[in-house]
Amino acid sequence: MTTHPNHSPENHSSLPFILFELAGTTYGLHSQVVQQMEMVQQITPVPNAANFVEGVVFSRGQVIPAINLRVRFGWEKVPYDVRTRLIVINVNHRTVGLITDSAREFISIPQDVILPPPEAISGLSGKYLAGIAMLGERLILILNAEEIINLTTDTSLIVHSS
Amino acid sequence: MDNFFANFLDDYFAECDEHIINIRDNLLAIEAQINQPQIEHSFLDKLFVSFHSIKGLSGMVGLKEAEELAHEMESYLRLLREKKVILTAPGIDALINGTTILEQVITAYRTQSPLPDLGSIMSQLTNAFAEKLPEPTNLGNNTKTGNNQAVNSSATQISSITLKIQEQAELKSALEQGETAWQFEFLPGQEKADRGINVNTVRERLQVIGKLIHASPKVRQNGEVSFNFVVTTNVPETSFAGWDADGLTYSPYLVTGSEEKSVTKSEEKPEQLASLSPVSSPTPISPLINTTGSTPSNVVRVDLTKLDELMRMVGELVTTRAKFAENLKNIKNKLNATELRALRETNLALERQLRDLREGVMRVRLVPIGEIFTRMQFIIRDLAKESQKQISLQFEGQNTEIDKFVVERMLDPMMHMVRNAVSHGLELPNERISCGKSPEGKISLRAATVGEMVVIEIADDGRGVDVEAVMNQAKKQGLIDSFAQNQTVDSNTILDLMCSPCFSTREQADLISGRGVGMAVVKNTVNELGGFITLDSQRGKGTTLRIQLPLTLAIADALIISVKDQTFAIPQSAVREVLQVPESAIAILENNELIPYRHQVLPLIRLSTVFNLNNSHQFSTNSEIKINQKSSHTQLPAAQSTLKLIVVGNGVNAVAIGVDQILGQQEIVVRPLTDPLVQVIGIAGATELGDGRVVLIIDTLALNRIANSTVKIKNYSEKTA
Repeated sequence: MTTHPNHSPENHSSLPFILFELAGTTYGLHSQVVQQMEMVQQITPVPNAANFVEGVVFSRGQVIPAINLRVRFGWEKVPYDVRTRLIVINVNHRTVGLITDSAREFISIPQDVILPPPEAISGLSGKYLAGIAMLGERLILILNAEEIINLTTDTSLIVHSS
Repeated sequence: MDNFFANFLDDYFAECDEHIINIRDNLLAIEAQINQPQIEHSFLDKLFVSFHSIKGLSGMVGLKEAEELAHEMESYLRLLREKKVILTAPGIDALINGTTILEQVITAYRTQSPLPDLGSIMSQLTNAFAEKLPEPTNLGNNTKTGNNQAVNSSATQISSITLKIQEQAELKSALEQGETAWQFEFLPGQEKADRGINVNTVRERLQVIGKLIHASPKVRQNGEVSFNFVVTTNVPETSFAGWDADGLTYSPYLVTGSEEKSVTKSEEKPEQLASLSPVSSPTPISPLINTTGSTPSNVVRVDLTKLDELMRMVGELVTTRAKFAENLKNIKNKLNATELRALRETNLALERQLRDLREGVMRVRLVPIGEIFTRMQFIIRDLAKESQKQISLQFEGQNTEIDKFVVERMLDPMMHMVRNAVSHGLELPNERISCGKSPEGKISLRAATVGEMVVIEIADDGRGVDVEAVMNQAKKQGLIDSFAQNQTVDSNTILDLMCSPCFSTREQADLISGRGVGMAVVKNTVNELGGFITLDSQRGKGTTLRIQLPLTLAIADALIISVKDQTFAIPQSAVREVLQVPESAIAILENNELIPYRHQVLPLIRLSTVFNLNNSHQFSTNSEIKINQKSSHTQLPAAQSTLKLIVVGNGVNAVAIGVDQILGQQEIVVRPLTDPLVQVIGIAGATELGDGRVVLIIDTLALNRIANSTVKIKNYSEKTA
């Protein structure tokens, strides 16, 4: 857990984010939607579910779906390792786990460095991109949690990628 | 203090609920007695008590609208009781509508949403009641004044305090020990607060002089909040006589002769009203005392969430025991036979006791289904008027008990189905006569407990489902590819189509039956509750929808099986038989595999195929099966070519589910899979078996449908791809 040195927490126009890595890129989720982060335990596959749905896991007394974000964004699956994390998010009364390569940072990002997604990539992935933040040399893609777990957004992805 | 008042409000809502249920039952009972000089007195008495109680309680929480409405209806009932008027059709309509609005007012207050408009219902009530009154013009005004005065006086009246049963008992025992009961009223204020006198210090004071057995807040007419206390004490009056100066007034608490709480209220108020209202004479109200037994004192009202919590804890116990059994299995080689036997016996005893516990908790949650049936009667009453159809409603098995949560969830679906039966099922009287039926359409609501399931049926004797219209509409909406005329379609397929979101055969949605989302809601709710629906419809003869719901939601017995190294659970309630047959017994018909079973042939569903398990090897597995099929007589040893089957479903709907291994039987805690990401055909839910792993629960009915459907319904991904 580190806070970016340039932006102290008392800057009240900052928003708190959870950062995670996926295929070498840093993504951010608003900390409000993140319920907890866990090591990836046993995942039970669900037959005939969408390809990016890895299965279901038991988390805090609840059985919740786990999405493989790599597959969701159209990349190769990689085996889980010690850094793999399940980020459990809670959006619109739904609880869903997101499998990410690693996740360990909590950061405050000033609102004025968050830019809307550029037109050029507002196509397919723009849907679940809420914004882009530049922190020094670092590029952070801020995700729209609602869209990631939206099934209709899924279908368009499947159609486009096949 | 907020918390205190909130608790008080909870009680208010719960009590109003009970009274409204009671009112509904009794209104329907007196409806049959319209225009008769004599009405069964007991029904009127019960109605009177309920309206009166709602009025009193509403006054206490400051919900003036409910108070006035209840008062209006209570006045009419008093006239009926005194035989000053005769019950007319507009009169009963007004009472029924009034009750509906009254419920809406109370609900709106609970949800803090805007109250419904009372203007029209109030004038309906006054008009209806005025019809046969000796002094029609005066009544409205007089009762109004009576009402306000009653409230004013209740602010100072002693017995307006309602004691809980427990408190009554405390009071009684204190009085038996020779103590005196006093009632105190404290009106807080800024000036008093500055002097350090607030509700808490008052409480402390009262606790010093005696035992504080009751405390409740009260909203006074002018909007101020005051607090009522009842204290039993053996100190003389002089020791608190000077407390008036601190805003704490007192008077002796009058104990009424009866233990019943509603009696304490009704003994005071009706008499005041009787003397204020010109149309009523001060008749004795003694019959009330006999009719207030609707809440026997040995009944405890429990918040449903507390029972949910209890059920959840039982569920956790079940899981923990499963873990224990698992651990026991792991160490069995390290124990000697005696030790092992002792532990095993303990484990079995624990399992048995847990089962009893679970059943006990479940039983507490059960309520008779008749409560929703009665509500349907109201709906049908209105629908009959709107649609100009003649309808008779029949009940069977109202006393069938079902989980409280399930009853509440089923209310909307039942309403949809009853509406559908009226608007789509039943014909207009003329049409019925020309079909040779009686002009009066019949709708039956039936309920029964069958094993671990509750069966609810909604049947009508109307025109039946128009299969062709359903199929054509389905084709138009792209739900099916083709439909040949005169093609036979099984009823489950039709039901599936009818339950697709936005499906409606009506060109334009009418007011009664809505926009076709109804059946989708019905199906979703039933599925979420772990149940299923079947349809039985005959052209021209009628439609029956049968809903089967599990008695318990949370915990069930299941067979644990495995297919291609993945473990699944199959609910025991669905399993008819477990079989082992040689592969050679499979017959192949086009793309289907069939198994002979007790003089009939069952479709075979291999879970590995349905669930596309072991994707990479799937095709080779399939071809292997076919090779086995041809060569099993000669080449393969019998042991290798047997197939384990689980027969589920009944009669023509039975199917054999092919699995790799049957691992055992276990009590499982059912957890619904509600997220759309993991809602797939053939999976009903999930459970964890004690080792932390999640195991999916098979939806046997969905598998039945896959095997038996004659028309393939596309699922979501196929449709959009």
